[in-house]
Amino acid sequence: MPWITKPSGTMKVARRNEPYLTPEIRAGLERDILPRYEKKQGALLPTLHAVQHRWGWLPWQALEEIAAFLGLSPAEVWDTASFYEEYWLQPKGSTLIAVCRSIACECRDHTKVTEACKARLGIDVGDTTDDGKFTLVEVECLGSCDTAPVALFNHTLHENLTPEGVSKLIDGAAAGEHHH
Amino acid sequence: MPNWTPKTTSPVLTQRIPCWPFADPKGRRTIPLDEYTRTGGYTALRKAVETLTPEQVTEEVKKSVLRGRGGAGFPTGLKWTFLPKPDADGEGGVRYLAVNADESEPATFKDRLLMDFDPHLMLEGIALCCYACRIQTAYIYIRGEYHHQAMVLEKAIREAYAAGIFGTQGLLNGARTRNRDRAWAVECHVHRGAGAYICGEETGLLESLEGKRGWPRNKPPFPAIKGLFGRPTIINNVETLAHLPFIIGQGADAFMQQGCESTFKGAPPSYGTKLMGVSGHVNRPGCYECDLGIPLKVLIESKDYCNGMRNGKRFKGAIAGGISMGVLGPDQMDAEMDFDIGRKYNVLGLGTACPTVFDQDTDMVAVARNIARFFKHESCGQCTPCREGSGWLYQLMTRIEDGQGRTKDLDLALEIATSMGAMPGTTICGLADGNNWAIRTIMNKYRDEFEARVKPTFVPVKLSVGAGAR
Ligand SMILES: Cc1cc2nc3c(=O)[nH]c(=O)nc-3n(C[C@H](O)[C@H](O)[C@H](O)COP(=O)(O)O)c2cc1C
Ligand code: SF4
Ligand code: FES
Repeated sequence: MPWITKPSGTMKVARRNEPYLTPEIRAGLERDILPRYEKKQGALLPTLHAVQHRWGWLPWQALEEIAAFLGLSPAEVWDTASFYEEYWLQPKGSTLIAVCRSIACECRDHTKVTEACKARLGIDVGDTTDDGKFTLVEVECLGSCDTAPVALFNHTLHENLTPEGVSKLIDGAAAGEHHH
Repeated sequence: MPNWTPKTTSPVLTQRIPCWPFADPKGRRTIPLDEYTRTGGYTALRKAVETLTPEQVTEEVKKSVLRGRGGAGFPTGLKWTFLPKPDADGEGGVRYLAVNADESEPATFKDRLLMDFDPHLMLEGIALCCYACRIQTAYIYIRGEYHHQAMVLEKAIREAYAAGIFGTQGLLNGARTRNRDRAWAVECHVHRGAGAYICGEETGLLESLEGKRGWPRNKPPFPAIKGLFGRPTIINNVETLAHLPFIIGQGADAFMQQGCESTFKGAPPSYGTKLMGVSGHVNRPGCYECDLGIPLKVLIESKDYCNGMRNGKRFKGAIAGGISMGVLGPDQMDAEMDFDIGRKYNVLGLGTACPTVFDQDTDMVAVARNIARFFKHESCGQCTPCREGSGWLYQLMTRIEDGQGRTKDLDLALEIATSMGAMPGTTICGLADGNNWAIRTIMNKYRDEFEARVKPTFVPVKLSVGAGAR
């Protein structure tokens, strides 16, 4: 429900000297992305993606830097960033497990997959493990309904999952197998 | 099984992608540019720019009665004619094409197939559309979850630029076009979404492209007049565009040999083939290329398609084509999958033509709860009936599923559903209406299950939708 706003009056902003929008990210965006759009704001989604890709999430300071970069107000950047589920405004685990919960996956028992993840990781849906390695979420249809149930491990889709299969995948990721 | 034979004997959209009923989908791989060109790719584009004016291309598409594959079934050629008329010099000013590759409708997985394995087919379609509509820039709006597909597209676009198809020199290395004998340059970019179903709605998509939250716009003005960054904009689905190379290459007449006529007098036909992704309780779920008009029963039972219900179970119902369309009931297995389906079978429409099939053990109340949760989660929150109604419906469905419902909850749920989107103008976009159709058709077609759940004697047994699945 993206329209529920969060209380901001008591918000504490952590700051650091090193920018999140690094000179490299900036240069890449200026070269490849900005020229694509008639208005700078058009580049906002790609910019958020690029910064999140580098840091894993979008700290408030990063949003301010992005605002300055694109000539927007921080509120405009926040407005957009908070609307989309894929942008993380708090830190997430290095492996994001997103189990599909839509109708075709529920038909093929996605709940058992989620339960297996919860049991293996010892966390609830929406939580991150204490070591910061895993975050577990449930998402809507991932467009692979014929191979349900499915889940994304970061950018990699895993199909025809079983509770045992998904536990093994988690074991692999915990042991350092890389998921893009 | 109904007596039905396919009209199309060789694949159109899946010519290079092994896909039932034409080929075993084993060993699918992404077709690179050289292979695409070697197998007849980009000849339709060459034919168009070298022998046809933009108006003639539009005319051919109009003649074919190609209808949008993104859900609404609006005739593509007609949509293109809504753009402002170009000036005497054939210039139309800055215009955009937004390719709808958001594919987030639950149960839908067809555009992904095209982008994964034959990206140049869609790129050729994009080039054709841009030429016909005098568009200089195309954005492919692809949902954020399709990381891999976005990369495949980026690569294919780089190939196309390197081969001089896109870029400032003009289509096909600056070929002299029949548009006043000059080159027509097209730029093509991928724009990734970030996980919001509503950005599949065409004006939500435009807002998102502009870097804003994906809040659908009030219409009019329609995007063809005032769209992306306030410019005339065409929005078409991936599959719609992927049909263009065939229509221009082989001619509208060849396209009209496929699919079917409407059975209603004077109603528009359903020509062409369609990708139908079938999921749920069938033996062989997958994406099939079928003539429009194929009966659902054939799609489910035929060996060429899904090869029957899983574990020999009985058919109980199916999502018609993406959950927004509502469900086909137990007695509607014969439904023909064409654009008449809405009028004939009391569903909203054909939608994406991707059915999820339910067997006899499926708990339809749980299905309704799953769907209600989806809409509650994805409502963008602009319109009160949608934002509040979707939440109430979800609460009611959970309550009924848990055996805590009251008899009057059934009428209440129906009343809420009916108030969402049924009255034109109460909501900005079609999401509310999809929610309404989905919940209302399930409740009406399986009323007894809901009634049994709210009886005071009902003991919840916690069946899941996937009961007995494995
Ligand atoms: C809530 C909602 C979600 C939609 N999602 C999609 C989508 O994911 N993909 C798509 O192609 N069309 C989607 N549509 C339909 C588009 O608004 C639009 O009709 C379509 O992209 C037009 O292209 P076409 O004429 O080629 O089908 C959606 C519509 C609504 C109301
Ligand atoms: S109908 Fe729902 S999804 Fe559509 S604009 Fe209104 S609130 Fe948003
Ligand atoms: S419902 Fe899970 S991938 Fe479509």
